[in-house]
Amino acid sequence: MAAEELPSEFDVVILGTGLAESVVAAAFSRVGQRVLHLDRRSYYAGNWASFTFNALLTWIQEHHEESQPEEVQDWSSLLEEGEELIYLSTRGSSSITNLQVFCYASEEDEEEEAPNTTEEDQGGDDEVKETPETESADSNEEEKKQKAGGTPAEEEEEQASQTEGEEPTTSAGQSQSEPTRKKISFAQLVKEGRRFNIDLVSKLMYSRGSLVDLLIKSNVSRYAEFKNVTRILTYRDGKVEQVPCSRADVFASRQLSVVEKRKLMRFLTSCVEETEEQRAYNGRPYLEFLCDQKLGDNLQHFLLHSIAMVTEDTPTEEGLASTRHFLRCLGRYGNTPFLFPVYGLGEIPQCFCRMCAVFGGIYCLRHSVSCLLLDKDTNRCKAVIDSRGQRISCSHFVVEDGFIGADWKREATPTRYLSRAVLITDSSILPSDSDQQVSMVTVPPIAAGCPAVKMVELCPSTMTCMPGTYLVHLTCQSAGSAYQDLSPVVTRMFRTPESHDQESSPTVLWCLYFNMADGSGLEGEGHDLPNNVFLCSGPDAGLGHEHAVRQAQAIFQKILPEEEFCPPAPNPEDIVYDGDNNSPSTPGDGETLEGEEEETPEGEEKVEGEEKEEKVEGEVAKEEKVEGEVEKEEKVEGEVEKEEQSLQTEE
Amino acid sequence: MAIRELKVCLLGDTGVGKSSIVCRFVQDHFDHNISPTIGASFLTKTVPSGNELHKFLIWDTAGQERFHSLAPMYYRGSAAAVIVYDITKLDSFQTLKKWVKELKEHGPEDIVVAIAGNKNDLGDIREVPMKEAKEFAESIAAVFIETSARNAVNVEELFQKISKQIPPLENPEVESNESFKLTRQPAASARRCC
Ligand SMILES: Nc1nc2c(ncn2[C@@H]2O[C@H](COP(=O)(O)OP(=O)(O)OP(=O)(O)O)[C@@H](O)[C@H]2O)c(=O)[nH]1
Ligand SMILES: [Mg+2]
Repeated sequence: MAAEELPSEFDVVILGTGLAESVVAAAFSRVGQRVLHLDRRSYYAGNWASFTFNALLTWIQEHHEESQPEEVQDWSSLLEEGEELIYLSTRGSSSITNLQVFCYASEEDEEEEAPNTTEEDQGGDDEVKETPETESADSNEEEKKQKAGGTPAEEEEEQASQTEGEEPTTSAGQSQSEPTRKKISFAQLVKEGRRFNIDLVSKLMYSRGSLVDLLIKSNVSRYAEFKNVTRILTYRDGKVEQVPCSRADVFASRQLSVVEKRKLMRFLTSCVEETEEQRAYNGRPYLEFLCDQKLGDNLQHFLLHSIAMVTEDTPTEEGLASTRHFLRCLGRYGNTPFLFPVYGLGEIPQCFCRMCAVFGGIYCLRHSVSCLLLDKDTNRCKAVIDSRGQRISCSHFVVEDGFIGADWKREATPTRYLSRAVLITDSSILPSDSDQQVSMVTVPPIAAGCPAVKMVELCPSTMTCMPGTYLVHLTCQSAGSAYQDLSPVVTRMFRTPESHDQESSPTVLWCLYFNMADGSGLEGEGHDLPNNVFLCSGPDAGLGHEHAVRQAQAIFQKILPEEEFCPPAPNPEDIVYDGDNNSPSTPGDGETLEGEEEETPEGEEKVEGEEKEEKVEGEVAKEEKVEGEVEKEEKVEGEVEKEEQSLQTEE
Repeated sequence: MAIRELKVCLLGDTGVGKSSIVCRFVQDHFDHNISPTIGASFLTKTVPSGNELHKFLIWDTAGQERFHSLAPMYYRGSAAAVIVYDITKLDSFQTLKKWVKELKEHGPEDIVVAIAGNKNDLGDIREVPMKEAKEFAESIAAVFIETSARNAVNVEELFQKISKQIPPLENPEVESNESFKLTRQPAASARRCC
């Protein structure tokens, strides 16, 4: 297939396929604008991308090789009367720094069990394998056996969860502390590399956040599937604990005393609405407010670090606002406020790109814009020149900010960075009945001056890692390099060659540290570029996606203030090819379609798998229940009483 | 009867008749100047298969494959892929192999592959012998059929053949932690009482 020429006229040219750019692309295309969407890279989503293991290794390689000085081609011959050129940076600025990789898995499979490791063998559900006795010769194991003596209870529990569903193997059960797990080698990670979808950013979707709302409103949600984050964990006094956040959790919690349960329910109920008492604390730390509620250390920790997810000096009003947001998001889809897309976050920008494409947007990867053509009189960008020297006229140009040289940016604020770590581990940070948990883990500063770390642990059913492994993402605002910021947490919570006394912790097989520029510094206005050029920043430090969605919407509304932002795409069933005018009826065609959309929003879903529909309705019911109960304090109290009794009888 | 949703994605060079095949299958309609599939995320058609109903969600490439920029999400969760070539264009058959490779790299492991030699109403200007295509399909264990979207030849059959290749649902019990789609229900819940 010979390289086709691109059309030479568009309404909007967009460079970069990160989340904000992709939402912008979908929004414009959806209302009939002609969109050309380019990315210099060979993959979608820029710094929001997710990679297979092998693609990640390539990405790391590329970043190590870093820039040969870029050759700037001279396109001035393409200038017309009254035009001026602005060159873009062809590589994009180095938003990624301090890459460090550590492989703790053995290079090859340790023992020759040659014909056994076929592809089928890896697949399916046999993630737990018997390890021949010989492996105890491994020095690691030996050391481990010596130290493991003290914690029989934990050991037992661990074994129970690991050998579940297998025939009891007494020999293995007795002689080794971790008997049945076959160690995964680096070679296996590579071989199964396609099963990984490793995100460069680590975020979650608030079930009532702006991204979820936008996905639903626009029907882009059709392109992806989601999983609930199943539990909230926190790291405290050297231990990982589950944070009870839904009503069910609170009652089921074994860590909380009955008094604590009652206090927590009362607190959660009372903070739904703003009170005089709360207002009195405005401007003072949320921690102070919590202290004065006399909740006790346990609850205070949960509320501050895991529910509000703020620091000790966050003001009360902010702490309460995030607490309320957390509570509002509970129960919409599951027992935690968060969702995670199957196959990783990198799917989301792609979904918006798909929406853009089905409305006629043209996509071209490995294709960049070299420079902008400026009309000297109007100071507007009239056209761009692409990396092949083609002149493409456009009314608006939207670009990932890395492509814009620093000299165009107004504020010379030093770029802030995020510190990231990605670990592939061999077991969950908190083993439980189910080995398919998706966990959000809050790690408060482990020492004074250390950053608070957000950690997400993904299980294989999220389709982001191979069976038998977990994918762990750590993120914090950077103080030093990613390694400096995060390796102390990794060493404490996981087993690496550097860690001590971590026998029961998951073993790190492979890990990556890097820093990424924090996109929250940039706001759309901060540049001296023509006023029809718009910048999109990269990922920010926030846990949710509000920043990127807000940015995309602001750009759209600035250019097309009259148009609706991402109206729903029609249901597939409603699209009719019209024989007379040769074109399928498009959603813009009539109110009827939009009207129908409103009236039968679930028309499609009804036909969709019945189980699913039922499940969703079930969740709604649950949602109502949870909200209802949080509001009715008395009832809650009553239930605590009941719970109390049943607890007592249990004991 | 249980309805089972099956995502099917279409691949193949531009102009081979992908959209025409979908249009014929879903709406039994053919148009000489079919315009790009504006606004169709995917089209659906439900057909009986054994004691199940298969609801095909058929995804067309929509402007992304033209410059070789198909996103991996296009293949996600596909039960089947139909790779279309034009029997009157040898080129379009040669690029089949590229699409097969692409699927191997990005598609699900257990995906059913079907190869459709389209425009078989134009037998007099045929460039791709049926035998050769069939042999290639066999070599990669793919379904093979020649179709004409124009004359409605073998289009239904193509999807029937795919249906037959889809293994029956192993475990109808839905796992508790199954993934789900986001829908509009929260708004609807307000008026659920009526
Ligand atoms: N004679 C004949 N023409 C066909 C047949 N199927 C499609 N065509 C014609 O081939 C041309 C291309 O068909 P499309 O369905 O648009 O092809 P496509 O693969 O969707 O192309 P892109 O969307 O550009 O990738 C149109 O002019 C169709 O009318 C067929 O079975 N026989
Ligand atoms: Mg088409």
